[in-house]
Amino acid sequence: MKKIAIVLCVLVLATSLFAQGAKEASGYKIYLITMDQMDQHWVNVDKGAQKAATELGGITYKWLAPDVKDDAKQIESINNAVAGGANAILLAANGPNAVTAALKEAESAGVKIVYVDSAANYPAVQTLATDNTAAGATAGKELLNALKGNGVTSGKIGIISVNSATASTVAREAGFRKTFEGTGFQLLETQYCDGDAARAKDMGANFITQGVVGLFGANEGSTVGVGNAIAEAGKKVVGVGFDKSDMILSLIKSGNLLCTMAQNPDVMGYEGMKTAVRALKGEAIGAAYFDTGVSVLTKANL
Amino acid sequence: MSREQGNPIKRILAVRGIGQVLTVTVGLIVLYVVFGIMNPVFFSSRNISNLLRQIAPIILIGIGQSYVLITGNIDLSIGSVVGMSCMISATMMTKGANPWVAVIVTLICCLAVGLANGLLVSFAKLPPFIATLGTMTIARGIAQIANNNYNTDSIGEAAQGFRDFFYYGKTFGLFNTIWIAAVLWFIFNFILTRTRSGRHIYAIGSNVEAARLSGVNVISATNKAYMVSAFVSGVVGLITSATSGMGTMDAGNSYELYAVAASVIGGISTLGGQGLLFGTVIGASIWGVLQNGLQFAGAPVAIRNIVIGVIVVVSVLLDVIVRSGKGLRRKRGASAV
Repeated sequence: MKKIAIVLCVLVLATSLFAQGAKEASGYKIYLITMDQMDQHWVNVDKGAQKAATELGGITYKWLAPDVKDDAKQIESINNAVAGGANAILLAANGPNAVTAALKEAESAGVKIVYVDSAANYPAVQTLATDNTAAGATAGKELLNALKGNGVTSGKIGIISVNSATASTVAREAGFRKTFEGTGFQLLETQYCDGDAARAKDMGANFITQGVVGLFGANEGSTVGVGNAIAEAGKKVVGVGFDKSDMILSLIKSGNLLCTMAQNPDVMGYEGMKTAVRALKGEAIGAAYFDTGVSVLTKANL
Repeated sequence: MSREQGNPIKRILAVRGIGQVLTVTVGLIVLYVVFGIMNPVFFSSRNISNLLRQIAPIILIGIGQSYVLITGNIDLSIGSVVGMSCMISATMMTKGANPWVAVIVTLICCLAVGLANGLLVSFAKLPPFIATLGTMTIARGIAQIANNNYNTDSIGEAAQGFRDFFYYGKTFGLFNTIWIAAVLWFIFNFILTRTRSGRHIYAIGSNVEAARLSGVNVISATNKAYMVSAFVSGVVGLITSATSGMGTMDAGNSYELYAVAASVIGGISTLGGQGLLFGTVIGASIWGVLQNGLQFAGAPVAIRNIVIGVIVVVSVLLDVIVRSGKGLRRKRGASAV
């Protein structure tokens, strides 16, 4: 009897100790899977996730990504993460449908899925991405304020976008246009450059000949075109744009673009990591969509 | 071709294929005046110089496509070669290469694509549509791989001379891009109309078997046409990278079709053997005036696409009608003079 009691005591003690140890050492295993490894955008998502993991503690974090953007390789990465014992995956889905089967398998293995940057057509804990309509509105407000600051309250404004079918740029344009409703400004017919910065330059030059007071570029190529057109014309036209690239930043530094809307990939990683941990702990998540917003990059804050 | 001496107007009218060129020239003037009345800014000197500079690249790729169409083939790789040229040149410059070295290397790469096109079509006897569809995707792939699937960084201050030479600079009051197009047009028009190579290009387009039997080297003539096409596309790619100050992977998207449109509107026959390079200039100008003018008119892009499509179809219809009623037309033309 006494012997049994002692054995039991030891067992209980041991298990409790072991349980404690397990909680400390293994914690949660969380993987980040992006479209590829090279883009600075993904490097920043990784930095954000890393930061949150360090702050929260007890998390084994790993960034897995194919060397190039490829659906099959992304599926492989998801399978590898599941096989590696992931508790949660932060995923930037290549496309809406390519990886859904792999996600289904992951979820049935008990893995929590959080989308960062871009979602797939499969239910997940939360999507953390840029709300392009809101971002377009931010660009509109920047332009409006700059024009008002110059004492301009009416005039024509030109918009250059990629094409009429890309969801993100269409949303940006919609947000931008909405900002100017009820103001004295007239927004001209949108021109599409197919992502070609040289064509965007021609369109921007045409707009300037038409006497616009402001120009908006909805993506990288369009923005470079806007900046180059303003640089050549040397006129007082205010240009705002989207995305962050070497050329765009140099056009801002030279004063030919007022500002550009840069996404916040670090916020996606940071907040995505927090969401994943909350989901694993069974805590409340909040809205299914988290707008990570845009940063307005100007000459002053570069 | 009859050679009537004396009256210069008669001599011009005697040139084969001049009918459509004259018709579209009138069309171009009408279009220009209509757009100008709709929006007087269209007539401003600032817009005219911008417009000419916007037309120049279309003239260049139009020259290339016209050469190939005259041989009775087609070149679908033009747009991708523009993109490839833009990316190769910009990538080299961002990596610190001397701009002029980059220009030479880029043009050699483009000529290689042209030679590949020519050999696939003439030597391997692939249908030109398929052969150049293949090189189109290959060249676009090279454009993407040039900088690891990204648009390049800025080509920087060191390349300002390059940017001015191809796009931003002016010579005798005209943008350099316009001069480049004019000089290349002059050279290639001379080759096409005044040299044996040019006559061979027309000959294989009219009747490839007859040409072969009369001793024309079909492979060589086809190669020359495709290499001209690749060369001018390469030049347009350089203009594109000078314009943007960076390399864009999407540069030149669907330019091959713009080039077909410019050629066809200008009276180059898609069946080969016929057409004047001057017509291509008019065709490219109509294309450019429409793009520019409809933007000024505030027309939605969809409407513009429809208008341009209709004009392309009408020009080809015109070509068919003119050909079928040729004898009648020539008599009328002569009596009108």
